Amino acid sequence: MSVDAMLFWFLSIVVLGFGLSVILMTNPIYSALCLAMTMVGVSAVFVMLDAYFLAGVQLIVYAGAVMVLFVMVLMLFDLKHELQAFSRGKITGAIKIACVGILAGLVVGAVTIGKNLAVAKDTVESSAVAVDTTKVLSQNLFLKNIFGFEALGVLLLVIAVGTVALSRSKGGTHARD
Amino acid sequence: MTSMGTTGFEITVNIVKTLLVFLMMVQAVPILVWLERRGSAFIQNRFGPNRVGPLGLVQLLADAVKFLHKEDFVPDKANRFLFYAAPVFALIPASVAYMAIPMSVPLILGESKFLIQGFDINVGIVFILGISSLAAYTILMAGWGSGSKFSLMGAMRASAQIISYELALGLSIVGVIMTYGSFNLTEMINAQMGALSFSGFGYGTTIPWLPNWGIFYQPIGAIIFFAAAFAESNRLPFDLAEGEAELVAGFHTEYGGFKMLMFFIGEYGHMMIASGLLATFYFGGYLIPGITPDEVYQFGLGTFGSEAAAHIFNSVAHFLMYNVKFALFLWIFIHVRWTLPRFRYDQLMDLGWKTMLPWALGNTIVTSIVIFCAAYFKF
Amino acid sequence: MPLGGVIFITLFIAVFGVILIYLARAIGGVAKRTSAAKMEIYECGIEEIEKKDTKVSVKFYLTAILFILFDIEIIFMYPWAVNFRDFIATGSGVAVFSSMMVFLAIFIYGLWWEIKSKALEWD
Repeated sequence: MSVDAMLFWFLSIVVLGFGLSVILMTNPIYSALCLAMTMVGVSAVFVMLDAYFLAGVQLIVYAGAVMVLFVMVLMLFDLKHELQAFSRGKITGAIKIACVGILAGLVVGAVTIGKNLAVAKDTVESSAVAVDTTKVLSQNLFLKNIFGFEALGVLLLVIAVGTVALSRSKGGTHARD
Repeated sequence: MTSMGTTGFEITVNIVKTLLVFLMMVQAVPILVWLERRGSAFIQNRFGPNRVGPLGLVQLLADAVKFLHKEDFVPDKANRFLFYAAPVFALIPASVAYMAIPMSVPLILGESKFLIQGFDINVGIVFILGISSLAAYTILMAGWGSGSKFSLMGAMRASAQIISYELALGLSIVGVIMTYGSFNLTEMINAQMGALSFSGFGYGTTIPWLPNWGIFYQPIGAIIFFAAAFAESNRLPFDLAEGEAELVAGFHTEYGGFKMLMFFIGEYGHMMIASGLLATFYFGGYLIPGITPDEVYQFGLGTFGSEAAAHIFNSVAHFLMYNVKFALFLWIFIHVRWTLPRFRYDQLMDLGWKTMLPWALGNTIVTSIVIFCAAYFKF
Repeated sequence: MPLGGVIFITLFIAVFGVILIYLARAIGGVAKRTSAAKMEIYECGIEEIEKKDTKVSVKFYLTAILFILFDIEIIFMYPWAVNFRDFIATGSGVAVFSSMMVFLAIFIYGLWWEIKSKALEWD
């Protein structure tokens, strides 16, 4: 087994293991932390695919920003009710088992599809040249898909406005009287 | 993975090297603590630790022994797993990010080439930013895991502060990336070689007595980066996370003994990353002003006569130069801590969002306009 | 990118930290329960008060969400900044420059609006 293959299997086990623990953990905070670790693992998988910049984005945006917000929000709630619901509920248990089943199905599907992909990848790799993926990304982003890029800016602006509006709504600690 | 080396010898050396960089970082922390205590005493006209050993230098060993002998304490209300996991996790982001900073010219021994850094990463800046943004988890884990109100409030404040200043930090780097056109730290350092030269309006000027450092191209970016780095490492003008008067000790209120020491390693690690990055981006990294690595190598060849010795001399000389710059910035960190008073929380947030972010944005826009106009209007 | 090296050193540091903690535990010993007050969390010397629902200012969430939004916008500037000179050299500089300037205008409008609407005001 080559070093790359060993790394791939190690990362797969880490990502899938943490992903599984997201739904198996009874404490929501552990779930959120496991999800953050899953994001870190996914960014390592991006590195294996030579998508270095995307790996960095995955780390900065998902692991460093989105999941921090999740963890921050979860830590401020009184989690007693959630803990009870997570550890005793029959419905949640059934959902968990169903999720595990779906995940197992996905893994089996990925493995069977992956066999075909591996063949396809071998043929591609023979003619592969070193491409600067960041450059290709920015060409796609700033030349081919300018409209989508600008629309994204507007979308982010709308989200910002919506967030501020929501935080002002009644019931919040800073609601307007 | 292949870049860890091709032969068994190279892989072994590279692995040992990463361990050495990590141990060097951990070793630097007690020295910095000593420097900080002596420095604060010097600034406040006191003596500081001066009883144990010469200049009080053995004080660090005594402290470590004392920390080891503290009993291991977990409060009843704490979440045991997170309480123990937080200090361990505090070590990881700081140390791993520091390894991506180049500390000297590559050492060439025969056929093999060894980089004087943990590992060379082609998207160095993005890697360092991404890894060090994980530090927020340490604080949240420690704050929530302690089960104490003070810890939780300290953690909330600290994480809100860290993420606010991460914006200004990330934006101030955009100007640097644009100036050098690369994410790679080694390429950035190589671009700063030689004497400072500007070209414009058809003729160029070279200032032979100034090195071609990034600070002359990005002065505002450098200031914003430096200020944001203080906030990122929770150092004094921005140490709202552990404002002693309000929050006891912030997110590590419940910690003591060795676990506390590990948080210190994390905090000083962030200081080291900031100092190393500041040297790399704006002050020529390991380059010696006025002389290129090639000239240093030729000098070594003339003095020692053998190629291997010249290569070793080259690496050692640049390593020392890097450490001089590194130590200078670390000293500025310490000096500022004992000079400036603490901000109020609303002032801190105002500074981050309403002052530093717009200035960093302006810096980015001006840089891009200058590069654009220089290319299109040929001035 | 030496992914193997990064993973190796990460695991090494984690093991190093765990060993340090166990070492401190072995040498210093586990805290013995001498009184109930010793095991309490810190509370300025008075009896601890347990609040059922800690009310934290919504400003913290707002800051975090706004941080995510601006962080995404800044991340989009990175590939643009690193390839800016290449784009100019290949002749597509005007399109790339203007597309980013429009994006930045939206960014600046967003920031100006946040400041004007007092969303970033802490009291």
